[in-house]
Amino acid sequence: MKIRKLRKTTQILTMLAIFIIPMINLLEIYFIKGTFYSMDIGDLAISDPLAIFQILLSSKIFNITMLAAIFIPVLLMLLLGRVWCSFFCPYYTIVEFLAWIRKKLKLKSIKPKYKKGDPSRSNTIRFIFLISGLVLTGIAGIPILNLILTHGIISSQALILVKFGYLTFEIVFVILLLLIEFFLIDKFWCKFLCPSGTLLSLFKFKKGMRVKKQVSECSSCNMCITVCPMGLDPQTEGDNILCNNCGDCIDACPDNKKIKTLKFKI
Amino acid sequence: MKLIEKLRKLFNNNPFKGFFKKNRMRPPGAVREDLFMERCIRCARCIEVCPFDSIKRANISDKLSIGTPYIYTEEKACYLCMKCPEVCPTGALDNKLIDIKKVNIGVAVINQDTCYNYLFAKDENKGGTAGAAQICNTCYNVCPFPDVAIILKEFILPVITDKCVGCGICVERCPITPKAINIVPTGMADKSRAGFYYEKSRLIYEKSQKSANGFYSGDNLLKKKRNIDTKKKTTDKIKNDFDVNFGEDAEW
Repeated sequence: MKIRKLRKTTQILTMLAIFIIPMINLLEIYFIKGTFYSMDIGDLAISDPLAIFQILLSSKIFNITMLAAIFIPVLLMLLLGRVWCSFFCPYYTIVEFLAWIRKKLKLKSIKPKYKKGDPSRSNTIRFIFLISGLVLTGIAGIPILNLILTHGIISSQALILVKFGYLTFEIVFVILLLLIEFFLIDKFWCKFLCPSGTLLSLFKFKKGMRVKKQVSECSSCNMCITVCPMGLDPQTEGDNILCNNCGDCIDACPDNKKIKTLKFKI
Repeated sequence: MKLIEKLRKLFNNNPFKGFFKKNRMRPPGAVREDLFMERCIRCARCIEVCPFDSIKRANISDKLSIGTPYIYTEEKACYLCMKCPEVCPTGALDNKLIDIKKVNIGVAVINQDTCYNYLFAKDENKGGTAGAAQICNTCYNVCPFPDVAIILKEFILPVITDKCVGCGICVERCPITPKAINIVPTGMADKSRAGFYYEKSRLIYEKSQKSANGFYSGDNLLKKKRNIDTKKKTTDKIKNDFDVNFGEDAEW
C-alpha cells in the first residue's frame, strides 16, 4: 500500500474524529474527551508538549499528570519522527486540501523552488519564533502560544460548533493563515512558524524513522525535491529536523518501482 | 505625572491575568483568577463534559481570556454536577474537589431596591399594599441549599449567608430584568460585601445571635423593642405570666 493512501486515511479519520468526539460526549459517553491541546482516551492522558511546557514556564508547577501526558507524544516522536504533523494534524490536512484545490483549478504553483540553504534558514526562523514566544509566555505569565496553536483552535472550534452551534473569534486567525497559504506561500505556517511542530522536532532521534537513500546512484530526476512539502532534498537531508516523515518523496520516486531507492528506515 | 500613572497602570495590572465581571464565573473548583490564567491551556475539556451546557468558551468580548471557560450565569447557571474539576489536565480546576458545599465560585448579592419581596415588605410597613408589589420567593425555592445558603428573614426577606457557593441558579431564574440578584465572582471587589466595617458588623451580628439562650438579643431584641406599643393605655390590669394564687385561701 502506498504511504499516501495510509496518510490520507488517518488524516480523514482525524478530521472526522474532531467532530465525532464531541457528539459522543453529547450522548454522555465520556470515554474520549478533550481537544488536540489535551486529550483523554479512557484514563490515558495525552497533551501537546508545548502546552505543558508553557504551564511550566508561566505557573512554575509541574506534576505527575503533566509528565504522563507528554509521554506518548515524545515517544512517538522518538520512534517515528514528526508523524503527528503529516498524519494527524488537522491544519496540515486543510492546507493539503487547499493545495489540491489549487491543483484542480490549474493555478500556478506557489511552492518555492529548492535552494541549498533554505532548510536551515526555515529552521532558524521557526526556532527564533518558538523561543521568543516562550519568553513572551514567561513575561505575560499565561500560556500565550496556546492562542495561536492552529490544531488546537480547529479542534476546539469543532467542539463548540457541535455543542453550541456557533464559532468564536479564534477561528479568524486560522482563516487568515489559510488565506495566506492559499494565495501567497504554500505551507508557510508549518514550515516557518508552527511552535508546536518546532518543539516536537527537538525530540527527533537520530536512529528513529527517517527517509534514507538506499543506493548510491539513482536516475537523478529530482522528483523527490519537487514534491517535498517542507522544501528539503530527501536524498541527503532525510534526517533534517524539518522533515515530517510524510513519505511523499518515497511515493513519487520513479526508481522505487525497480529497486528500493528511497525508503523509511528505523 | 499623567504618564507615570499610565505606566503604573500598564505594568502593575497585567492585562493577561484576566478581569472580573458580574454574573460571569469560572467553573467550580477553579483556583485564584491569576493562577487560573497561568494554568489554563484552553483545552475545552470542561466545556465538553458539562452535561448542562453551562460552561462556555470565552469569546472576543472577554479580551485576552479568550478561549478560557466561563459560566455566564444569566444564560445558564452551574448545576453543581461536579464533572468538570476532575478532567482538568493542569490543575487549573482542583481535581480533588467533590463536595459541592466546598465550591466557592462566587456569592449572590440581592439588590434590595428592585427585589419584589423587599418592595412588598416596604409597602407593607407603610401600611397596606398599593397592589403593585408581589411576593416572589423564586431564589429561595430554587436554591440548592435552602435555609443554609439563603434564609427568609421574617418569613419574607431573602438574605444570602456565607454558605452561598455562587452556583447562580437564583440569577438564572430571577424574574426581574435587570436581575435583582447577581453573582459576584470570587476575587471581585464588591462594595456591599467588602472592607473592614462590613466584616466587623458581620462579626458583631453573629456574636449577638449566638448569645441568645433564653434572653432576647440581637435581631430578636430589636424586634421585641419595636413591637412595644407606646400608644396603648397602661391603666389596664397587668397580666402576669406566672401563676399567682389570688384565691380564697390568700391570707390578706
